[in-house]
Amino acid sequence: MSQKFRLNKVGYINRDKKISFKFNGKKYFGFEGDTLASALLANGIHLVGRSFKYHRPRGFIGAGVEESNAQVQLYSGAKTEPNAIATTVELVEGLVAKSQNCWPSVSFDFGAINNFLSRFFPAGFYYKTFMWPKSFWYKIYEPIIRRAAGLGIAPLKPDPDRYEHQFEHCDVLIAGSGPSGLASALAAAKNGARVILAEDKPRFGGSLLTDEVTIGNKKGKDWADEAVAQLKSMPNVIIKNRSQVFGYYDHNMMVMFERTKDHIENPNKFIPRQRLWYIRAKEVIISTGSIERPLVFGNNDRPGIMLASAAKEYIKVFGVAVGKKPIIFTNNDSGYDAAIEFKKNGINPLIFDVRENSESSTVQEAKNLGIDIKFSHGVVNAKGYLKVNSATIGKLNKDKTSYENLYDVSCDSICVSGNWTPTVHLSSQSGNKLKFDEKVNAFIPNQSRQNESTIGSANGSFTLKEALEEGFNKGYNLSKKINGKDNQTSSPTSNEKSYGKQDKFWCMPLPNKKHYKRCVDFQNDVYVSDIELALREGFRSIEHVKRYTTLGMATDQGRTSNLNGLQLVSNIEKKIVPEVGHTTFRPPYTPVTIGAIVGREVGKHYRPTRKSPIHEWHEKNNAVFVDAGLWLRPRYYKQDNETLMEASKREANNVRKNVGICDVTSLGKIDIKGPNAAEFLNRVYTNAWMKLPIGKARYGVMLREDGIVFDDGTTTRISENHFHMTTTTAQAVNVLSHLEYYLQVVWPELAVNVLSTTEQWAGVALAGPNSRNLLSKLFPDIDVSNEGIPFMGYKESNLFGVPARIFRISFSGELAYEINVESGYGVFMWEKIMELGKEMGIEPYGTEALSTLRIEMGHVAGSEIDGRVIASDLSLDGMLSKKKDFIGKRSLNRNAFLDSAREKIVGVVPVDKKTMIPEGSHLVEDSSASFPNPKLGHISASCWSVEYNNPFSLAILKDGKKKIGKKLFALSPLKNTNIEVEIVSSHYVDPKGERVRS
Amino acid sequence: MQKYSIFSLIRNAFSNHQNWDVVWRDPVPKKEYDAIIIGGGGHGLATAYYLAKEHKINNVAILEKGWIGGGNVGRNTTILRSNYMWDANGLFYEHGMKLWENLSQELNYNVMYSPRGIINLAHSDAQLNTYARRGNSMRLNGIDAVMLGREELKKIIPFADFSESARFPIFGALMQPRGGTARHDAVAWGYARQADAMGVDIIQHCEVTGFDVSNGKIQGVQTTRGNIKSKKVGLCVAGSTSLLAEKLNMKLPIEAHVLQACVSEPVKPFLDHVVTFGAGHFYCSQSDKGEMVMGGDLDGYNSYAQRGNLPTLQHVLSEGVAMFPNLSRLKMLRTWGGIMDMSMDGSPVIDKSHIDGLYLNFGWCYGGFKATPVSGWTFAHTIAQDRPHKLNEKFKLNRFNTGHLIDEKGVGTKTWIG
Amino acid sequence: MLEIKCPYCGNRSQNEFSYGGDATVKRPSLGKEVSDKEWDDFVYFRKNPRGKHSEFWHHVAGCRQWFKVSRNTATHEIFKTSKINEEI
Repeated sequence: MSQKFRLNKVGYINRDKKISFKFNGKKYFGFEGDTLASALLANGIHLVGRSFKYHRPRGFIGAGVEESNAQVQLYSGAKTEPNAIATTVELVEGLVAKSQNCWPSVSFDFGAINNFLSRFFPAGFYYKTFMWPKSFWYKIYEPIIRRAAGLGIAPLKPDPDRYEHQFEHCDVLIAGSGPSGLASALAAAKNGARVILAEDKPRFGGSLLTDEVTIGNKKGKDWADEAVAQLKSMPNVIIKNRSQVFGYYDHNMMVMFERTKDHIENPNKFIPRQRLWYIRAKEVIISTGSIERPLVFGNNDRPGIMLASAAKEYIKVFGVAVGKKPIIFTNNDSGYDAAIEFKKNGINPLIFDVRENSESSTVQEAKNLGIDIKFSHGVVNAKGYLKVNSATIGKLNKDKTSYENLYDVSCDSICVSGNWTPTVHLSSQSGNKLKFDEKVNAFIPNQSRQNESTIGSANGSFTLKEALEEGFNKGYNLSKKINGKDNQTSSPTSNEKSYGKQDKFWCMPLPNKKHYKRCVDFQNDVYVSDIELALREGFRSIEHVKRYTTLGMATDQGRTSNLNGLQLVSNIEKKIVPEVGHTTFRPPYTPVTIGAIVGREVGKHYRPTRKSPIHEWHEKNNAVFVDAGLWLRPRYYKQDNETLMEASKREANNVRKNVGICDVTSLGKIDIKGPNAAEFLNRVYTNAWMKLPIGKARYGVMLREDGIVFDDGTTTRISENHFHMTTTTAQAVNVLSHLEYYLQVVWPELAVNVLSTTEQWAGVALAGPNSRNLLSKLFPDIDVSNEGIPFMGYKESNLFGVPARIFRISFSGELAYEINVESGYGVFMWEKIMELGKEMGIEPYGTEALSTLRIEMGHVAGSEIDGRVIASDLSLDGMLSKKKDFIGKRSLNRNAFLDSAREKIVGVVPVDKKTMIPEGSHLVEDSSASFPNPKLGHISASCWSVEYNNPFSLAILKDGKKKIGKKLFALSPLKNTNIEVEIVSSHYVDPKGERVRS
Repeated sequence: MQKYSIFSLIRNAFSNHQNWDVVWRDPVPKKEYDAIIIGGGGHGLATAYYLAKEHKINNVAILEKGWIGGGNVGRNTTILRSNYMWDANGLFYEHGMKLWENLSQELNYNVMYSPRGIINLAHSDAQLNTYARRGNSMRLNGIDAVMLGREELKKIIPFADFSESARFPIFGALMQPRGGTARHDAVAWGYARQADAMGVDIIQHCEVTGFDVSNGKIQGVQTTRGNIKSKKVGLCVAGSTSLLAEKLNMKLPIEAHVLQACVSEPVKPFLDHVVTFGAGHFYCSQSDKGEMVMGGDLDGYNSYAQRGNLPTLQHVLSEGVAMFPNLSRLKMLRTWGGIMDMSMDGSPVIDKSHIDGLYLNFGWCYGGFKATPVSGWTFAHTIAQDRPHKLNEKFKLNRFNTGHLIDEKGVGTKTWIG
Repeated sequence: MLEIKCPYCGNRSQNEFSYGGDATVKRPSLGKEVSDKEWDDFVYFRKNPRGKHSEFWHHVAGCRQWFKVSRNTATHEIFKTSKINEEI
């Protein structure tokens, strides 16, 4: 029979909608509104997984995020999700889940042999062994350990789902929709505050879903439903279920994680799987509730043993009894609630209470219902391997160190209640220094550092009355503080049971000669004996205990184990808990999908792609693109089956012989204006700028303050107070910030403004002997002669009606011009040039040919200006003005920079004139010297010189100028090359620079 | 001292592990020591160990304000490598690699040195060339390095993004096969255990509050547990260096910055190497527990808070997903931050100071973990001999005056750019 | 994520800004003779305090103004922001 543990009269599931799912290959049914956990329990299935280290059988311990055992693998292929918490997975038609970390099956797991050998594997055993022989760790032991590592299986395919981000501001963000959260949301919203209320679970209401209480003459759950309906209707409220606030960051930046898709049967394919909310809240109310602590006893990790609060939730919310012969084992009154719910549904529980007595109304109710209660008794050991089937019960002696008698009781589940731990994660993340509260017997928030308030049971206020009052007061006071309004909502009357005092006793002693495993951290297999061992070995700081035993380091981050671990340490060390302290709470509260954090920055959208306005033309003309920072630039224009080398040679050759056109839009362009513009450039660049005539351009080098070359480029004086600066593509953004820094911070007295115009202009370079001829066709109205536009000259004109700027500058070393028009006319300009240049043999050339041209001319670029060289290394000494100061000049006095034997730029030609020298090769004197072989320099850039038809490279070489004419070896051990080379001048082609001036 | 081995483990198993000794004692500080090391992190512990072992200076105290191993040695991403371009770095870290290779045996503590290979992905020919410059420099220094092509990478990390939709396609990689990982806590504890056994006093919860200096010579330190004399004091406090230097009226060429790291939930191992993304700063490996260990950029502003903000992690993880798209469906389990002593040229300082007997060790940026053995080894030499070893002679403090900088990345003094 | 009050635009999230380092470091005047020590202090040496720190930020994705922030480097509390020409 299916769902034989389903109860008839209780629960908020929709019994009209039956849902089928598969677990470990078998088909089961549940109802809409179930979680995978509640559906499995309804079918009597407790065994869901195996523990990490010893592969001990594990079942459910909780009903929500506190679950540390029940992790399953969902689906398969690209959509698979490892380590899904079964208690938080909503049941959806067709769900497929299976157990993890077991082979061949969860009920017969080979790895369980570890359990029988567990005495050899105590905490930290791996530090003490696997050291011999030396190489075995990596070759033998570690691979074996790795085979056993991990829980679920990662997908190996890209994630087919998409994720979104949302940004919000609000007055009050409330995390948790229990009674205190709802109350504060109502109070704040009614007082006009912009409120966001977040609830992690699918259902709002928190403890009101399970507690028998009344608020203002309504049942708790009904009051909650009405409050939610009211909040939903208010325009100033965003109320979200399936949304967990997982991180409290600086300046009240809260991050929330919303599950939007996986619970829907046939989701619209456009909705994101999950959504990440960045919320800046003026005030944050933390009403995250509390989590029950387990009690520790022998084999307390067996399937069928769970928190009493979870058992109650399974009954009340899901209509599922976790057992038909349950034992309730408690040290406080709240465990009785679970017993009462069992009883009300016709199941007879047994209560074992370690206290000597309790006389609260809750206990009285249990007694009145005829529930069998045994005080001063506790569960000593659980029996049953794959599921608990009986328990050894002990009657405790007066001081609770031993037993008066022991006996066995048969059972099918044990519900434990070790009191409550406030969920203080967010409070602690906010910087709130927690304090240990003796009454609550746990840490609670103390002093807020940010605008944060913790209320309700998260604040140690466990009664409904306190929770409601704190909620209404906080919501009102905070909203008033923010908006000054004064509409107060008063707290309604409420009715609840009374609860007696808890007992702080929580860890059952071992009977004589018994060595039961008593589990503290379920998922990571940390037992009482492990913590004892750590302390015995001197790991006494709680952080050392945590790291040595791995306590609290599992995927549940110790939600159910940390405090028990702390108490154990404090008992053994004879310190009080606050002295032991707690480990750091860090975000996220529960694991968050990496895809959700990343959002839309995936695939091609990982980073923006910058394209020139002429990009489409390049695409249509077989350009092969290369990434240059964020820009895509044509690397070469492929013809037929050309290789990169063939194409770049052809294109470079054509520049040297005819004329070529190159898209240089990506070069940084900065407009510099103001009466002190020339003075400013004079400070920024190393050379002199005051006397640059209008209509002339000049090459400039700028340094960082530490004397290292920062960037280079040409800057043109458009008019008296107006300059046009160009930068390299790579440094464009940094140069602008650099200029702004000096103008605004260092020299605010200079009247200058700078503005990036990179994207305002489309730029092309025309280079080659025919470029002047072509220019005359493009601009028939102006004098393009060597006198009309001399080298480094500048003219404004119009290109068939389009305003254009003409610069006579050259990177290729040929007679060349750069033409800029407004971006929108980029294609017009390009096509016009191609059309008119056809008869002159024009061809486009890409960055590869551009490199060839500049390398053989000895012009430096990014591969030489690598952030480690000074100007003289690049033979740019002449650019350093002796007459004026400039940024970075003072640093050039350093000893290391004055060393005449520093590395210098040179040219390198292979002796055989055939073999290309791989870039990144190093130059050495003796190619067969023993290591370390002294390196004299490196090859920064290589090309096939189209001028001389042989390879040519640039190198930065120690004392380079003195080595011209010498022979060295260029070694690239990575490529197994050893090339004899001759050192030559870096100006390989046209060393006098006649062509650019022709 | 008990020797750790499979045999001692079995023997102790039969007495229910009741007979293990403490790993290190909890001594009361003496009045005077031959040397004091301030800072019980990896470097401090290693320094004390090598002082005792290599230089027979056993009367040593390590003063730690918190618990040992709680700084960056306990909060890093455990990567070991010597894949540096400049000789000063390459030869130094390569000596470190040799120490790593024998460390488990030497310390009789399994530090899980795992030479699984570190792969630096390149996303353009230009980047491959700059990697080649570094790799060739390594090879000529006798350090292992190989170039991998796209097709070879497809076999090693088939789940990386080799598709058409990659924003920055993978062109190839530089790999140091001997690069890898080690278990960070074990390194601290292993050094602590052996140092303790040789007589070093490890004094936790003892904060240095001042220095006693007279006539330009160090005489001792003031601490929260009283004054302690010593003629030799070594400063090994990474992110706290400036704070102690201030007590000596020293300004140093460092800034404190927070670097975040995170791990995913444990999954069955699929990544056997350490891989770095070349079109960003992301790096990733998979621990022996199955967690993906991930890190990247600094948060980017001076910080002494051992925590960071989410946008930095968002940025870093976007790099991760760009590299390995399958990471998207895994879940981020835990995040944390550490304080980096970012030096102005990205390289450390291991040097004497202007005060006789006071020695400095700082500026590790985000690469301090792999240096733990060699930093301790050379610092111990510097302290014991009162002069640097050849391996650390380039890591002088006055290089910031002479210009003999060791800038691997060429980014200059904007430490926050990293 | 920090929230920084740009003196020109108001409160904005940190991802609109870029950091510019210690604002107490003053560049020696141009053309002025300075000692090696003064110069090296300016280029490389920092106080690097734990606690109150005056620093530059640049509103790069906004008004592109540089300004000063006084911030606690241990807690990230921002005490004040000001324009460059104002005292902080």
